[in-house]
Amino acid sequence: MNGNERVAARAVSLRDLQVSERRKKVDKMFAMLLAIQYVAGIVAAFVVSPYAWAGKERVLHIHVLIAVLAGAGIVVLPILLAFFEPGKAVTRHVIAASQMLMSALLIHLTGGRIETHFHVFGSLAFLAFYLDWKVLLTATTVVAADHFARGILWPESVYGIANPEWWRFLEHAGWVAFEDVFLVWMCLMSLREIDASSTRQAEVEELQEQEQLKTAALEMALAELQATA
Amino acid sequence: MKRRSFILAALFAAALIWIATIGAAFQAIRNFETTPGRAAIAPRAWPTSSRVQRASGWTLVMLIHPHCSCSRASVEELEAVIESVPALRPTVLVYRPSDFPRGWEQTEVVKAASHLQRTRVLIDDDGREARLFGGFTSGQTFLYDRDGKLRFSGGITSLRGHAGINRGRTGVIDLIRSRSARATHPVFGCAITSTTAKETK
Repeated sequence: MNGNERVAARAVSLRDLQVSERRKKVDKMFAMLLAIQYVAGIVAAFVVSPYAWAGKERVLHIHVLIAVLAGAGIVVLPILLAFFEPGKAVTRHVIAASQMLMSALLIHLTGGRIETHFHVFGSLAFLAFYLDWKVLLTATTVVAADHFARGILWPESVYGIANPEWWRFLEHAGWVAFEDVFLVWMCLMSLREIDASSTRQAEVEELQEQEQLKTAALEMALAELQATA
Repeated sequence: MKRRSFILAALFAAALIWIATIGAAFQAIRNFETTPGRAAIAPRAWPTSSRVQRASGWTLVMLIHPHCSCSRASVEELEAVIESVPALRPTVLVYRPSDFPRGWEQTEVVKAASHLQRTRVLIDDDGREARLFGGFTSGQTFLYDRDGKLRFSGGITSLRGHAGINRGRTGVIDLIRSRSARATHPVFGCAITSTTAKETK
């Protein structure tokens, strides 16, 4: 293996290490975020709609049960994956899907407030921390599938009208895709920057190694000269 | 090796829970949102024993359970109706059990209704007025014409707790603008009165 091949191999190794370490950290961040969102969902349910009423009688509102049970069901797998399989592709794709499901849950628990829809766009930005555009694709697919399924089964819940055009889910997913374009571009650009910095570091290491070899050879030659003198 | 097998088994179980949760939550939310409350059995003519004053033109009456979180959407929709029909002066009847302390009915839903333009908010002790109008569900809306004939009975939200354009709201507006003769729409909300014998009498 010549010098250039060694530099290229070392650059790939450094890049993979850096990206992998970053993704493991992001996995842990999302584990924390999902746990916080789970608690926030329960708090939101208790604040917005704690009870269902029938005259003077009250029972625990179904929103509270959904926040506790469905929220737990959504977050359990991604949190376990983040701790036991960090850095793996399956972990970040499950996290992406779960984060979008949390968005859907929070939107529902807050009574479909338009402000809660910002959670979707914020989550996409957080998912971009992975520097893996395929994760954004997974998240977008979940949003589109949710809108498509609900658009077919009970369209009023997403569009507010009973007979929306069949392609209406594409319009909603289109806004998500709009953000995706820039996030994907940012992911690719960041990966290129990591590539460049890894290559620079590999070149520096190669130069240092060559310098060390030269120094060692010089010291050996000097030692031989001193021995013969 | 044993620890690894345990972790894989736990992840597999979590994956099954994850998939089952998504399906079950989807179905539970759908059932909750799309199941309407009990439809009103409203008299065709204005109930004369009501203490609600009938307007010379159109009269709109909405029944509200103050603690029904879904009724926020009904109040939002009522606001949209009011903005579309400047002459309308609606009345919101707020259910209150007479043996409950005063102030029990002062919730965000009622405050929102009180802030609506040209709207009267009246306390409906034990749901007496609701019974006169034949309504059972929070968000139930009645529209009477200038002759006191019932022209609309139903809800003005698309689903439970969902604000946004819907056939109930447009039905009321179209009626007032004389674009249709009669309209109805399912009502989504909590039950106005208890199922106990004393109150349903």
